[in-house]
Amino acid sequence: MSLAKAEKILEANDLVIKFGLRGQTLTAIRGASLDVFEGETLAIVGESGSGKSVLTKSFIGMLDRNGWVDSGSIIFEGRDLAAFRDEKQWLAIRGKKISMVFQDPMTSLNPLKTVGAQIAEVYALHRGYGPKEAAAAAVEILGRVGIPDAGKRHKQYPHEFSGGMRQRVVIAIAMACAPRILICDEPTTALDVTIQAQILDLIRSLQAEFGFTTIYITHDLGVVANVADRVAVMYAGKIVECGTAEEVYYDPRHPYTWALLSSLPQLGIKGKPLFSIKGTPPSLFKEIEGDAFAPRNPYALKLDFVREPPRFQVSPTHWAATWLLDPRAPKVEPPEIIGQLRDCGKSEAACADLGGGRAGR
Amino acid sequence: MARYVLKRCLQSLATLFIVVSVVFLLMRLLPLEGYFGDGYDKLSPEQRTAALQRMGLLDPWYVQLGNFYVRLSRGDLGTSIIYRRDVPVTEIIAPRIPYSMYFGVFATLLALALGLTLGVFMARRKGQALDKAGTAYIVLINAMPSAVYLLFIQLYGTSLFSLPILFDKYRPNSWILPAISLSLGGIAGYAMWIRRYMVDELNKDYIKLAKAKGLPEKLIMVRHVMRNAFVPMAQYLPAAILSTIAGSIYIESLYSIPGMGGLLVDVIQRQDNPMVQALVLIFSSVGIVGLFLGDVLMAVFDPRIKLVKGEGAR
Repeated sequence: MSLAKAEKILEANDLVIKFGLRGQTLTAIRGASLDVFEGETLAIVGESGSGKSVLTKSFIGMLDRNGWVDSGSIIFEGRDLAAFRDEKQWLAIRGKKISMVFQDPMTSLNPLKTVGAQIAEVYALHRGYGPKEAAAAAVEILGRVGIPDAGKRHKQYPHEFSGGMRQRVVIAIAMACAPRILICDEPTTALDVTIQAQILDLIRSLQAEFGFTTIYITHDLGVVANVADRVAVMYAGKIVECGTAEEVYYDPRHPYTWALLSSLPQLGIKGKPLFSIKGTPPSLFKEIEGDAFAPRNPYALKLDFVREPPRFQVSPTHWAATWLLDPRAPKVEPPEIIGQLRDCGKSEAACADLGGGRAGR
Repeated sequence: MARYVLKRCLQSLATLFIVVSVVFLLMRLLPLEGYFGDGYDKLSPEQRTAALQRMGLLDPWYVQLGNFYVRLSRGDLGTSIIYRRDVPVTEIIAPRIPYSMYFGVFATLLALALGLTLGVFMARRKGQALDKAGTAYIVLINAMPSAVYLLFIQLYGTSLFSLPILFDKYRPNSWILPAISLSLGGIAGYAMWIRRYMVDELNKDYIKLAKAKGLPEKLIMVRHVMRNAFVPMAQYLPAAILSTIAGSIYIESLYSIPGMGGLLVDVIQRQDNPMVQALVLIFSSVGIVGLFLGDVLMAVFDPRIKLVKGEGAR
């Protein structure tokens, strides 16, 4: 699909989200800006605690009670979601226009209600269906997400379904009211590998059929490579690099993205220890000066510790926030593996060396 | 389901048999002097032996037990031997049943209504003033020996609100204090458990999904949290019924309510065996029915519980 023509469906601008924790204030999102385009599949990647879940939760007003949007805006359908204060306003968005699929299907369903009833609840709520209509619609969507014999199985309880089947039910719930945006928070992490692929395929085929926009949250770069049109890399509450999947995979610019890709086991060289990023992410209780990644970044410039890097546009669809992209910055060679990836992006042959080319698409 | 109910009924009968037999035998361990009360010294040894013979207490214990069950199978609970001599036990107990029943049922309903309401509000306002006050109340009731607060209530309740100190069937307001006293423990218990189960449920992932569906908080509370928290509550029901029985025994005698509880205390002290046996039979039946109901309710509410192996399994 051509991203240039696509319309923005959601736009987060300079979003700051804070949490009150034991008298201290934690800044989980430190001015993140993100555009989401109609119909695309966007993946947000980053390590645990980078704020990817918090960011997307703020799109449906599901921050924990001690969290709040401090500044910035989330523009969706001409309204600023960040300005919502009333739970009632959210009810028109949450589950209706934007819905979410959670990580663990084993615990996301109410164990004491039939799966049919849990889906029907959505139809009754958002579309005002009567009990019979809602039940019939539930059976239909269950069939659509690939539950065999849906006419019978809608009367069963979650414990009678396997993990993969339950995730299909959860997806059916999220799909029931034809949302415009589907947020998938690590939808396959709790599933085994064969089922993972099936679930990703299911989401993709539903997307093709209904034309919604998907946002994946994941730390599994393998999943990203399989499904994403665009990738946003998050670190310490900020988006540090964003571009099409090809650009981020084959031509990454931010040292954090380099480090992330280098630690992929698929790209590791047999016999050599696996690369890992030294150090720990910064404490979000304190004000961070300069680039948050600088202390762990072997390529960090002096400037990185003092001043926060702005966005540098690499291509119309690709940008990264690192001083290395400033014209005045010294030329830095990325790690060897990143160089190989770059070659791989240019020619098929170069991919052969790369762990069987599995990082490619 | 029918098979399970049948099986469970047989188990209940066995339990009842054990309880009644044990109480029967324990009563036989009491010293024989007790059967004569204050009149012991006035009787000659021959008179005492004759009296014991008449009461059937000189037979070996197994003969006594056997006779008891033979008569019970004919529906004969025997006659009182001391409390009201030679009057059939059923005749003495029958007029007292309504008092105990109304009293127990009313206190249980009061405890359920107030306890569940309190617990639900505590769970919804977790950590706030109401929750803390409720917790203080629960701790107080559970930590203090019940005799202490029950006496306090009787003492100050009567003087502060000028309520009758003893039960009088012609004064409806004499119900108030005993009913409140009997329900206090239940209120604390129900509030504690429903709060705890609701807080448990609130932290579960499916609540997150229910919220992501767009369900308003009230509906989440009613349809998901409360509904699910009631399942483990069913477990608590038998215990609550048992404790109501236990409480009623003391409170009935405290307020001189002419029910079965007060009577039981009385006849145990006076060693009127047939009376004790009949009352124990009634009380333990109620308790066992409570246990049975708890199990069945659990199974009805929770589809994951299979009562019979193979039923519904795929």
